[in-house]
Amino acid sequence: MGKIAIIGYHEVPTQINPERTRWDIAEEVIIGAVKNAGIDKDDVQGFINVAPQAQPDLISQTAFGLLPEHFGFKNVKDNVICNAGGASTTNCVRMAEQWITSGMCEVVLVPHITVQSDIPAEDLITFFAKAPMHQEWEFPFGMTFNGAMALITQRYMHETNSTEEEVASITHALRDWGARDPYSLFHNKPKSTEDVMGARMISTPLKSVECNMLADGGGCLVIASEEYAKKHCKNPVWKLGHGSDFLGGTPIVREDIFWREGYRKSCGEALAQANLSVEDIDIHEIYGAYPFTQASYLEANGICEPGEGARYHAAGHTKLGGKTPCTTIGDATGRGHTGSGVSMAFYCQVARQLRGEAGENQVEGAEKVMMVTSGGSGMNTLATIWGK
Amino acid sequence: MSDMKRPLPAISPESKPFWDAVQQDKLLVQHCNSCDTNIFYPRRICPECWSKDLGWVEAKGTGTIYSITTTYLGTTSEFTKELPIHVAYIDLDEGIRMASNVVGVGAESAKIGDRVEVEFVKANGDFKLPLFHLIEE
Ligand SMILES: [Zn+2]
Repeated sequence: MGKIAIIGYHEVPTQINPERTRWDIAEEVIIGAVKNAGIDKDDVQGFINVAPQAQPDLISQTAFGLLPEHFGFKNVKDNVICNAGGASTTNCVRMAEQWITSGMCEVVLVPHITVQSDIPAEDLITFFAKAPMHQEWEFPFGMTFNGAMALITQRYMHETNSTEEEVASITHALRDWGARDPYSLFHNKPKSTEDVMGARMISTPLKSVECNMLADGGGCLVIASEEYAKKHCKNPVWKLGHGSDFLGGTPIVREDIFWREGYRKSCGEALAQANLSVEDIDIHEIYGAYPFTQASYLEANGICEPGEGARYHAAGHTKLGGKTPCTTIGDATGRGHTGSGVSMAFYCQVARQLRGEAGENQVEGAEKVMMVTSGGSGMNTLATIWGK
Repeated sequence: MSDMKRPLPAISPESKPFWDAVQQDKLLVQHCNSCDTNIFYPRRICPECWSKDLGWVEAKGTGTIYSITTTYLGTTSEFTKELPIHVAYIDLDEGIRMASNVVGVGAESAKIGDRVEVEFVKANGDFKLPLFHLIEE
C-alpha cells in the first residue's frame, strides 16, 4: 500500500483528428475519469494540469482555472499547471502526492489534452525543432530533435557494436505492442524489422517509423489519499516509489548521453523506496520516445549486460510473452506522440495493466510496474513504481 | 554554399566575442581563469566554480567526430536547399564538444573518430558559422 493511488483514469485513443476539439477531449477524459473512479465530482479538491506543448492558448486557459470552472467542480482548493515536457505527468502526480500527504486535498484530478493536428505543419516543425534544441548552439547547424537522437543512436551503435537492424528491432517490438492496442495511432499496423529498415530515412540511422509522429490525444487521472482510496475504491493502483535524476538541458553538453546513469539513479531510488529489487518488476514501461532509450534502460538496470540492450530486444525478450515485457504502450513510436501527454498515456496504461484491463496486451499476473518518463530532449529521467 | 539561408544564432552579450571572432576566422573557447576550465557553450558564470573571471582561448580549430548523422528530412524550411546535411558532435582538442556540420570532400562518408578542422562559412548573407571538413593525419 502506498500513500496515494490512481483510483480512476480515462483516455481517448491517440489519433490525428483535427475535427476533435480540445474541449471535446477535455469533456470526455475528465467526466470519464471521475465516473471510472466512481466518486462524486465534488469530492475533487485539486486540479494539477499537464501543460500541453505548442498550445499557448490552452496553456493559459488551464493555468488560469478554466477547466474546474467549466465543469462546475465546487470544492476545488487550487488549480495549477505543470510543465516538464514529457515528464510533466510524473511531476503532476508527485505534486498531487504532496497536496494529499500535506493534508490539503484528498482527491486530485490530473488532466491532459493535446490537439496538434490543427496546427500548421510548418509551425509544428519549427516549434519542435526549436523548443528542445539550443537556439544558439544546435539549431543553426540543422540540428533537429530527430537529428540529436540520431547522433546518440550512432554513438550507441559505435560503442556497443549494435547493428542498425538490432536497433530497428526495438521499433518492431514497440509497434508489435501498438498494433494490438486500440488506443494506439498504429492499431492493426505492425511493422517487422524489415519494414522498419525499409522506411524512409530521416536522420541516419533513424528511419521515419523510428521517429515520432505527432498526434492528438488526452487523458485524465484521479489521484486519492490512502484513506480515501481504501474507503471508496475497489481497485486502486498504489504508488510505491519514486526516483529522479536531472541529466542536463542540452544534448551536446550532457555527460550521460545514453541516459544510462539517469536510469540507474532514478530507478535505483524508486526501487529502494518501494523496498523492491528489479527482479520483482513484472512490466517496465519506458517513455524515452526514441529506440536507444529502451536499450539504455535495460543496461542501466542490469536486466541485460552493458551494451546488449538492442540485441536483448532483437531476441524478442521484451515482447508479450517474453521474459521482460517492456513498454506495453509501444512508446511514442508505437503509439503516436501527444506532446507532453505521452507520459499521461503511460500512466493510463499502468492502471490498465495492474487492473487487468489491458486487453490483448495484458501481461498475465502483472503486480508491479516500473515506469520512467523524460522531458525536453531528455533532460531528466523520472521513475515511479506502481502496484495493486 | 554562398546561397545558404541559415537561421542565425540567437547571440547574447556573453557569446558575442565568440561570434565576432568567427566572423574574423577565429574559433574561441571560453575559459575560466579561476579554475582553469574550458567552457562550452559561453555563459555569464563558470558552471564549475561560479567565477565571473572568464576569458577566451583561441582554439587550434582541430577536433574529432564524436558522432555524426546525415539528415534527409525534418529540418525547418531554411535548410531545405542544403539537404542532406551532415550534422555532427565535434570534440575539439581543447576538451569541449560542439555541434556543427561536416562539409566538403568526403563529408558524406565521414564517421565517428575521423579528424576534422574548422572552416568559416558564410551561412546567411555575410554571417559566418564555424563548420568542419575532414583532414588526413
Ligand atoms: Zn571556474
